[in-house]
Amino acid sequence: MADRAPAPHDAEQPPDAPRRPLRRALLLAAPFAGLTAFFVGWELYVRIRDLRPLTLPRPSDVIRHVAENPGFYAQNGWVTVQEAFWGFVLAFLVALVVATAMAHSQFMERATLPVIVLVQSTPVAVLVPIFLLWFGFSPWPKILTAMLFAWVPFVANALIGLRSIDEDTHELLRSVNAGRWEIYWRLRFPHSLPYLFAAGRICVGLALVGAVIGEFFNSRDGLGNAARVAQSRLLVEQLWGSVFVLAFIGVAFVLLLIAAEKRVLRWHASQSADHRGV
Amino acid sequence: MSAPAVSFEAVSKWFRPKGSLVHALSKVSLDVQPSEFVSLIGPSGCGKSTMLRLAGGLLEPDRGTVAVNSQTPAEARRQKRYGFVPQHPALLPWRTVRRNVSLLSDVNRRAGRGAMSDDEQLAMLDGIGLTPFLDSLPRELSGGLQQRVSIARAFALGAPVLMMDEPFSALDEITRADMRYLLLEVWERIGSTVLFVTHSIPEAVVLSDRVAVLSGRPGRITAVVDVPLGRPRHAEVEDSDDFHRVLAEVRAALRQGWSN
Repeated sequence: MADRAPAPHDAEQPPDAPRRPLRRALLLAAPFAGLTAFFVGWELYVRIRDLRPLTLPRPSDVIRHVAENPGFYAQNGWVTVQEAFWGFVLAFLVALVVATAMAHSQFMERATLPVIVLVQSTPVAVLVPIFLLWFGFSPWPKILTAMLFAWVPFVANALIGLRSIDEDTHELLRSVNAGRWEIYWRLRFPHSLPYLFAAGRICVGLALVGAVIGEFFNSRDGLGNAARVAQSRLLVEQLWGSVFVLAFIGVAFVLLLIAAEKRVLRWHASQSADHRGV
Repeated sequence: MSAPAVSFEAVSKWFRPKGSLVHALSKVSLDVQPSEFVSLIGPSGCGKSTMLRLAGGLLEPDRGTVAVNSQTPAEARRQKRYGFVPQHPALLPWRTVRRNVSLLSDVNRRAGRGAMSDDEQLAMLDGIGLTPFLDSLPRELSGGLQQRVSIARAFALGAPVLMMDEPFSALDEITRADMRYLLLEVWERIGSTVLFVTHSIPEAVVLSDRVAVLSGRPGRITAVVDVPLGRPRHAEVEDSDDFHRVLAEVRAALRQGWSN
């Protein structure tokens, strides 16, 4: 029988890293496949049932209408984008200040909580006429509406993120006499970033809803106003065109946020391939 | 004889969690000399970690006094006179290994006169095998490597007193055994005073000059066992008769403290 001594370790070559090009391509194509299936299904449904545009237009007609009027949608879309963006930024800043105060003081937390519940349970839409009284036809009523829609998820998540720090790390920083602000900037704030990004994904949509509702009430431009005018004049394609462009803006905002999250949260478990099921 | 680096004088401490009253420490007295390595060992809840927090100025004693280098613990904390190694590595996940090691020096900079320079830090990190991981994030490291970073961070502060709260408890037995000698190697080079909390009798004996044995709650020091093993110590020390004799002595003291 031949002598079969094992090969020395350094002679052993590691196997090539597994390559799964098909799997990668499928994962990349999945979102487009989902969207295509959705729109094709919609188109077929309208054609087969021969629905009137007033009931449900064909998506191909809506897309054609938007493509034929790029200036109109770009101009109105830009107005809505700005209102939603500033509402979103303002919601983030106000929430961060409020959550910071609440995370540092039990008194502040107890004093602020009823106000948050009050704001949260008030239908924000009824405040728009009040904002209109205060600010007239400026962008402010829309920005404030967008802010009020978006800020509660930001506050809730920021508070959890600022609070749920690792106690050992907190103690470690205290052991070298780190001040409150040093602990805030070196530990609490970075720790809250994953929570803030998670809230951001929800709040992007809410800020857009807020801006559009603000425009429904008092505006001469913006996609909310375009949709309102279209509805009153039965301009079905413009109504659906506004919806399509708003959806596109929402998706673009979320994608931008995901890109920022990938850069900022490189260190976080959520960005590891193992946790994305890849 | 020089003033002790850490001194507990008849220290008692109570906690009041949600209305109840827990007597954590009762009239504890212990002096730790400069450059001495002293372990605190005892059953769970006997107040070992409380003693570290009292010495670190993170808790106040209800009775008695605690001093660090003849200063109050709070003053020593303000001047960054001690480094802390918690039970878990407590690394900031967004900082690389290099930046985690410099974390304590970066905080409260005005008091950081004793901290190691960048070159000294790099030499120390090289000595404990962390050079290949300088730009890695904590989540890319094993538990053992993370704990190495945690220890390096405490030494990088250049503080004369180090407090270690069961730093190896979360590690597997093989890594844990390695870490003991790694810690000894760095400590023997730098020579800080160390107050080390552990549940492991062999660990306490391998590392320490003296082992302070605490009774169950309320924690009292029932015995202080000298460890007359030479330095530097290597793994072979665990085969010596002296090691086993001290081990038996600490075990007997623990048993006695438990029955009292």
